[in-house]
Amino acid sequence: MITEEIKQKIRDIVGTDHVLDSELNRFGYSYDSSFIPLLPANKPDLVVRPLTTEEVSRVMVVACEHEISVTPRGAASGRTGGSIPLKGGISLCLDRMTRIVELDERNMMVTAESGLRTIDLYNHCAASGLFYPPDPASWKFSTIGGNVAENAGGMRAVKYGVTKNYVMGLEVVLADGAVLRTGGKAIKNVTGYDLTSLFTGSEGTLGVVTQALFRLIPMPKRRGTLEVMFRTLDDGCRTIHTMLQSGVVPAAAEIMDRTCLEVVARHRKTDLDPEVGACTIIEIDGDDDAALETQAGRIEEAAKTCGAVAFRTARSQQEADDIWAVRRGISSAVAALAPNRIGEDISVPRDAFPEVVRRIREISEKQGLPIAVYGHAGDGNIHPSILCDLGKPGEEERVHHAVDDIFAAALSVGGTLSGEHGIGITKRPYIVNALGDVGVRTLKAVKAALDPKGILNPGKIW
Amino acid sequence: MDKRKDHELLREAGKMVDRCDRCGTCLPVCPLFGVKGVEATSARGKNTIARALAGGGIEPTREVLDVVNFCLLCRACVDTCPAKVPTDEAMVDVRQHLTDLAGGADVKYRLIGGVLKRPGVVKAAAAALSILRRSGLNGLFPYGMAPEEYTRAHFLTAFAGPAALGQKAPPSAVTVTGRTKVAYFRGCGMEMMFPEAAAQTRDILKTTTSLLVKQNVCCGLPHLAHGLREEFLSLARQNIRLFEEAEVVVSDCASCGATLKHLSSFFADDPAWRDRAAAFSGKVMDLTEYLEKVGYLPRQKADVVFTYHDPCHLVRGQGITRPPRELLKAAGSFVEMKEADVCCGGAGSFHVDYPDAAAQILEKKRRNIEKTGAAVVVTGCPGCLIQLAKAAKASDGKFKAMHISQVI
Ligand SMILES: Cc1cc2nc3c(=O)[nH]c(=O)nc-3n(C[C@H](O)[C@H](O)[C@H](O)COP(=O)(O)OP(=O)(O)OC[C@H]3O[C@@H](n4cnc5c(N)ncnc54)[C@H](O)[C@@H]3O)c2cc1C
Ligand code: SF4
Ligand code: SF4
Repeated sequence: MITEEIKQKIRDIVGTDHVLDSELNRFGYSYDSSFIPLLPANKPDLVVRPLTTEEVSRVMVVACEHEISVTPRGAASGRTGGSIPLKGGISLCLDRMTRIVELDERNMMVTAESGLRTIDLYNHCAASGLFYPPDPASWKFSTIGGNVAENAGGMRAVKYGVTKNYVMGLEVVLADGAVLRTGGKAIKNVTGYDLTSLFTGSEGTLGVVTQALFRLIPMPKRRGTLEVMFRTLDDGCRTIHTMLQSGVVPAAAEIMDRTCLEVVARHRKTDLDPEVGACTIIEIDGDDDAALETQAGRIEEAAKTCGAVAFRTARSQQEADDIWAVRRGISSAVAALAPNRIGEDISVPRDAFPEVVRRIREISEKQGLPIAVYGHAGDGNIHPSILCDLGKPGEEERVHHAVDDIFAAALSVGGTLSGEHGIGITKRPYIVNALGDVGVRTLKAVKAALDPKGILNPGKIW
Repeated sequence: MDKRKDHELLREAGKMVDRCDRCGTCLPVCPLFGVKGVEATSARGKNTIARALAGGGIEPTREVLDVVNFCLLCRACVDTCPAKVPTDEAMVDVRQHLTDLAGGADVKYRLIGGVLKRPGVVKAAAAALSILRRSGLNGLFPYGMAPEEYTRAHFLTAFAGPAALGQKAPPSAVTVTGRTKVAYFRGCGMEMMFPEAAAQTRDILKTTTSLLVKQNVCCGLPHLAHGLREEFLSLARQNIRLFEEAEVVVSDCASCGATLKHLSSFFADDPAWRDRAAAFSGKVMDLTEYLEKVGYLPRQKADVVFTYHDPCHLVRGQGITRPPRELLKAAGSFVEMKEADVCCGGAGSFHVDYPDAAAQILEKKRRNIEKTGAAVVVTGCPGCLIQLAKAAKASDGKFKAMHISQVI
């Protein structure tokens, strides 16, 4: 419980309009995009929406003094429950902090506040010919603070890497309200521990990111989108494999199975060729049209040898956008297929992709649960979606078995629990399997050192 | 109202919002979330609250009614939602459910509902307005906020000039036989707020057909949106009956058109009315849709730059975007504005209930219109026209707002 007196202190810091405590407003900050049940609701006692780093720092001072839990939140598009205030307290919502502090074109770096939407950062840089590559499918609504906290990946990870590959420095408010600045614009930097990396991917448990400094690269001059249909997911995987082996590195290589394609067809009111069992969407980029044509030609060749049934090149930006919109919407479209969807985010070495997909098929059959599969085939990150109805007797147990088996399959081929969505609440029970006792103990030691009272995002990761 | 039915509505709404994945794709497109930024104002927030209400996790309080009322029903969210959750329909159902629980709609909406339902109302627009004014309700069609009338005559003097008038567009090539029975649906908003534009619509229609004019009743959308469902259904039945002899029913109001086109779905499980409603919905056309079909060409080509605002009920309600733009290109020159299809904040009586949020949304719209440099912003819905006229006033004469019938 937060007393009226403390609430007033916080209102004085951020302004009355930006502190919410009505029943429904608290409910509005009790969930994210994960499959954690809505009810009973994990409501925060107070929602606080600061505008500046100083306000964040002053709020943390109050929270620390009174040992109030604080859960940072961006857009709550997280898939693992990270921004859910499990222990009540304050939901610290950073979405008003949306300033682009500086675009340093000469050093090709940009500094922005954490509540800025990923796409706004991308567009701002693109206007000056600079490229911020990390593009989670949620980029139109996720915040860069959330991206940093989850070390979000995206479609373009296969060629350009993930968020952490671009974070050069951070401004972080620590649990006691102190403001820490890490990293900087110097490209080489070995002064002290690499705190920038430590906070990247820390899921809001070590500090509140208020600003981030990212490096940028020159914008590729030309981009092309290809869509290739296959009879089986295996054929699609093999194509991507062959293509990478032959030295063509696409900017993105996504794959989806028949179930996914069926939803898309249903939404678009089109018919799906019965022969088609999988689809890959590939983005290529380069300096000129000739470079694109060469790549497209080689990809087409690889696709043919692997049994592609259809090959399409987007002829306009609109067509390319349409193709990508399908991929970006897949996750939610699939979710609407069944009363419940349990979405996972395993990541495996690239060459193990077909093997793991085969095992997921077996798990699906064994448990009698449909599992839709799509993912970033280019980098081995797979999102199996278990479609179920948790209201049915015995279903929950089958789902648990299926999840256990999926994780076991991932670990057995040298993979890991989460490629990009983080651990949050949903994967907590499995972390020991992935990291071992020593691994988890080390995480806890870091946490205890930085947040001795345990007020930042309690109940997450382990 | 019998309780079983109320809970059915909530269950229905519950089923719709159950499909919501809470992904957040709708966050950036909801105009209300855009100005308020608080989760409960977004489509995701409203759907989740509806879901918790249906699941028994939250109590049906006044606060919940406020949340579901705070929606423009603009469908921007539905359009972008990967799971196609019909937020607007769910909000209407929850409103209905909550008003039924509370023993009837808000007095204010009941009054407006009553006024608009009286069959004579459309004919006696002036009388209706005086009732509206007397009851202190600038409600649905807030006369007090109404624009100064800007008529077709004004338009022609200002933009067409003698020279421009000379270059009349060639007459329509399509001959419409006297046998196609085309009727005009008189919308309350058009008749009460923009009678001159409504008259222009009829003039235009008469150049293409011998027009059937009926004393129809309100389309019922205001009733439906505010928890007067029974009234809505009874109005719908009257209109269906009235237009049975027509083969085409043309509406110059985006909201009426969208409502009428969707009537059939409200009668889907009513064997007595199902087929009649479906037949009726099947013959409704927006004015611009009809004009495109018959190959209508504007009566003049003026030396004026137009821009166009997509009414929610046309772009998302009926999927119509091209015909009005083509007509405008033929009637003058045309520039597209940024975010043309974002709601203007009018949304029936929303702007009366939530003036601040509506004003902030409209302010964005005004800036986008001004950026085009167009002299006239055109639209096809009286609700939008009221908002746009306010924006025109705020722009200090930089642009005018007009209904499409007045300029083509
Ligand atoms: C449709 C859909 C597609 C997605 N696709 C991808 C994808 O392709 N790749 C991918 O990696 N993820 C994806 N995600 C997951 C999600 O969008 C990302 O994890 C994103 O980075 C979360 O950003 P957010 O602003 O919504 O953060 P939230 O969900 O609000 O928070 C996520 C975590 O970060 C913490 N946090 C947020 N802001 C801060 C801050 N300023 N300081 C400290 N901690 C903070 C929170 O406490 C929480 O633990 C997808 C999600 C959806 C719904
Ligand atoms: S309404 Fe649609 S877009 Fe919005 S959160 Fe729900 S599923 Fe996503
Ligand atoms: S219908 Fe419009 S106002 Fe209502 S939630 Fe959807 S986008 Fe927002």
